[in-house]
Amino acid sequence: MTESDFATRLNDRFPEGVTADEREGYQGYIIAADKLIEFATALRDEFEFDYLSSVTGVDYPDEGKLEAVYHAYKTIGGAELVFKVQTDRENPEIPSLIDIYPGADFQEREAWDLLGIKFTGHPDLRRILLWEGFEGHPLRKDWQEAYYEADKKPFKSRWPKAEYTRAEAKNPYGANVKYPDKFDPEKWVPEGEDALYGSLAKYETTDKDGLKTDHLTVNLGPQHPSTHGVFRIAATLDGEKIMNLNPVMGYLHRNHEKIGERNTYLQNMPFTDRLDYLSSLSNNFGYAIAVEKLIGIEVPERAEYIRVIMAELTRVQNHLFAIGMFLNDIGAFFTPSLYAIEERELVLDVFEMVTGSRMMCNYLRFGGLARDLPDGSLQKIRDLVFDRLPRKTDEMDRFLSENEILRSRTVGQGYLSTEDAIKYSAAGPVLRASGVPYDIRRADPYSIYDRFKFDVAVRYNGDIYDRYYIRLDEIRESIKILQQAVEQIPEGEIQTGKPRYQMKVPKGESYGRVEGPKGELGFYLVSDGTGNPYRYHVRAPSFINLTAFGPMCKGLKVADVVAVLGSIDIVLGETDR
Amino acid sequence: MDSALIWEMVIKSLVLILALLTGFAYLTYYERRGLARIQSRVGPNRAGPAGLLQPIADAVKLIFKEEFTPGQAYKVIFILAPIITVIPAILITATVPWGGTVTIGGREVMLGIADINIGVLYIMSVASIAVYGVVLAGWASNNKYAMMGGLRSTAQMISYELALGLSFVGVILLANSMRMTEIVEAQRGLWFAFLQPVGAVVFFFATLAELNRGPFDMPEAEQELSAGYNVEYSGMKFALFFMAEYTKMVSISAIIATLFWGGYRGPFIDTMPGLGPLYMFIKIFFILFMMIWVRASWPRIRYDRLMDLGWKILLPLSLSLVFINATGILLNQMWLIPLLSIGAGFLAIQAINLSLRRKENAR
Amino acid sequence: MGSQTPWVYVGIFVLVGLFIPIAAIAIATFLGPKKPNAIKQSTYECGIETVGDSWIQFKAQYYIFALVFLIFDVETVFLFPWAVSLNSLGIFAVFEGIIFILILLAGLIYAWKKGMLEWA
Repeated sequence: MTESDFATRLNDRFPEGVTADEREGYQGYIIAADKLIEFATALRDEFEFDYLSSVTGVDYPDEGKLEAVYHAYKTIGGAELVFKVQTDRENPEIPSLIDIYPGADFQEREAWDLLGIKFTGHPDLRRILLWEGFEGHPLRKDWQEAYYEADKKPFKSRWPKAEYTRAEAKNPYGANVKYPDKFDPEKWVPEGEDALYGSLAKYETTDKDGLKTDHLTVNLGPQHPSTHGVFRIAATLDGEKIMNLNPVMGYLHRNHEKIGERNTYLQNMPFTDRLDYLSSLSNNFGYAIAVEKLIGIEVPERAEYIRVIMAELTRVQNHLFAIGMFLNDIGAFFTPSLYAIEERELVLDVFEMVTGSRMMCNYLRFGGLARDLPDGSLQKIRDLVFDRLPRKTDEMDRFLSENEILRSRTVGQGYLSTEDAIKYSAAGPVLRASGVPYDIRRADPYSIYDRFKFDVAVRYNGDIYDRYYIRLDEIRESIKILQQAVEQIPEGEIQTGKPRYQMKVPKGESYGRVEGPKGELGFYLVSDGTGNPYRYHVRAPSFINLTAFGPMCKGLKVADVVAVLGSIDIVLGETDR
Repeated sequence: MDSALIWEMVIKSLVLILALLTGFAYLTYYERRGLARIQSRVGPNRAGPAGLLQPIADAVKLIFKEEFTPGQAYKVIFILAPIITVIPAILITATVPWGGTVTIGGREVMLGIADINIGVLYIMSVASIAVYGVVLAGWASNNKYAMMGGLRSTAQMISYELALGLSFVGVILLANSMRMTEIVEAQRGLWFAFLQPVGAVVFFFATLAELNRGPFDMPEAEQELSAGYNVEYSGMKFALFFMAEYTKMVSISAIIATLFWGGYRGPFIDTMPGLGPLYMFIKIFFILFMMIWVRASWPRIRYDRLMDLGWKILLPLSLSLVFINATGILLNQMWLIPLLSIGAGFLAIQAINLSLRRKENAR
Repeated sequence: MGSQTPWVYVGIFVLVGLFIPIAAIAIATFLGPKKPNAIKQSTYECGIETVGDSWIQFKAQYYIFALVFLIFDVETVFLFPWAVSLNSLGIFAVFEGIIFILILLAGLIYAWKKGMLEWA
């Protein structure tokens, strides 16, 4: 079915309420708010767009409009469908899609939190990243960060008349936050807590013999060794069994997207490193693709190869770390994780050699790379991917996968069915371990992934064990890609045209997505023609994979919650943004 | 009883306790270095030559640390709990013989505190006191993690105590005595670990559970309960829990060595009884290494499976081992014992595998 | 030496053993700093104020474990003297012991079938 066929069919199905988005540089469709539910149902059931990947919003104060932006895909592969719903800025109400795509849950809460779009029909529309009681919605264009000097970077003159003040001097301690009226931070009790615990409810049950059991409401995190950072799980327990569970996040929130709007395009490149700090090169990759789509430039052959090599090495080291830390979570006292980290360090050595940094690589540029591979680095990569990594992956497999304790902890536990995985917009290893062979490198190839022979790793049981094992599979597939890429890499340029430090980007929108180690990493950019992005949204896989976390955990034991969380593999830098 | 005898006892007690405490301190060092070796790290190597003064540095630090008591806690029990935990860990060694009788300054000195006729029973009863310390610590902290950790460890300790006790019965059957020295002497020909290998393995795992060591370290499961029953403890009170665990490791290794690995017996022991403590030390050293090795290589068993293992596998298995031992002794066919018990152990492993397989298809 | 002498030794050992933890706590109490405040003394729950009571009514299942344990522990203790005197007892006593074990095994199977051994 071609693009125009689809448009005709869509037009026949919805003669009213669905119009093509004809603004300059924009794509997709604009849906009338009252038609949204019908449209989404039809989209899922009739047009096979069963996977709602991203939900976000954009503020257009000049037109008095807030716009919710949705990206949907078919899990059988293919390009995205963008559709938008516009609403009045003063009273923004859009029907919630949670019944049709439950994966919209957290993303709608995020859009409510940061943009103030009310999703009617959402059962639990609380703030998700900011604290309950926060004043305003920071991604709106008229929201100003208190005492921040200018709206955009670079500043016209940072220190006019050569005299400068430091922001700290202007903001005495405690006064650099804007509070609502009559708000006393000393006496503040977070309003969200009652709502949070209320959503768990039920402190007592009586069984059939009339024996009473009190339920325990317990918080795991934010200061907890196995939540992989400052992540919090509020749970009610019946003995050791999880009755109900709610993830709470946002402790590491720094409004990445608002800062991204203030930065220039290039300044955001190192900033993406800080999202998923374990796999910074993948983040660079996604962002570079999104910006390159906007400015419409090609990347030279050699640069593409280096990008792929770096992205796949990133996947290998991320999965090594994930496996190691997962085993730590189920109680193996650091031995597997240190063995995995040993290999990871070797990959990081390559990163250091090539990019100059081990973690915050900041290596990709629009239309190319920051610098070419230094002498000897290719040989080093060759040694790794032809000898050391395959050997060590097999060794790890041999040591761990058949361990009885590991199997008893993971096989059949934390089950996520194929339907649920799609429903909850799970991505990456979590999706593929549930039997959905959806890998963006295959489903919607970007860069030069269509040239390589590799299999999409997929497992069918959807339990913790599969989510663990699929990472080993993916390491092996990545090594296959790496072996081909290292053999094929051509000589040549690494940058199209001049390096672009500061540039004007044509008006429009773009959505660049890559198969990051943790899942689909998408960057949604809107440009208004200036040097700063008008809107910069990150579709964070760690964040959205957590939507399925609660349903996966119900009925499990406390110890399993930790294992399930480890098997999702989250990084809080990305979850909280 | 003359006063010299009392002084001898006090000195022996002090020497043993000091040895245990030094053992505890250097066990932490041994474990950290051992784990580091296994995990391809270096381990503590800064304080003193090769880090040998590390335990002293730790002790000094812990003494000078501020201790705080949570406001919600039940204060008296909160302070009492670590003391109750430490005492049985030390007392448990009272009946362990460290060697034969040696002559020091013209006096016949038995290497060991007391050789009582119900040594085994003494060990069992003293060991079960420790559970009070843990559960009281968990309860008195008035903290949810501590409470859960305390409950877990109570259930775990009592569940594995059965397997432990029944393994004792096996040894008593073989030695025909509950006196520890007689158990050691009974192993003159063949160590019980070879006569009853499955019993030794069951005993080893039951003691791991009793000690809350990995893979049975649920009560202090860091990843699940932050730290379990001792989460609210700090400073010296925390160190006491630590001390209890490690002292108990030493004591229990000594008991394992005595019951199954020939105790203080070794080459030339009959001519040079002074070698006894040395043999004990070597055996304890190896058993401790096994414990460290297990901790370094295995993930933690989940709680309900741990209980299943204790009640549904180890308890029937150790009951059957008692049965097998009794049969072998009655028929006076000792070779039957290792043969049948290995068969029983094999069945138990099959049962574990079966239970794993069944879970595979379940949710 | 009377037959109770070893117990005197154990008693001395207990006294010396008691001294160690008490001394440790006492020394630390004298030497450690003491600056308590409300935040330090609050209950630890991963940095969140704890809700609800920690001293709650737990599942009855836990107590059943304790009961089953009690039965089997007593059984084990009964087996101790039986084991010591196995050789001096006649074959009749041995069979008695075995029947005793079997009865308790039946009890274990009963508890097992009743689902009392499921930790939930």
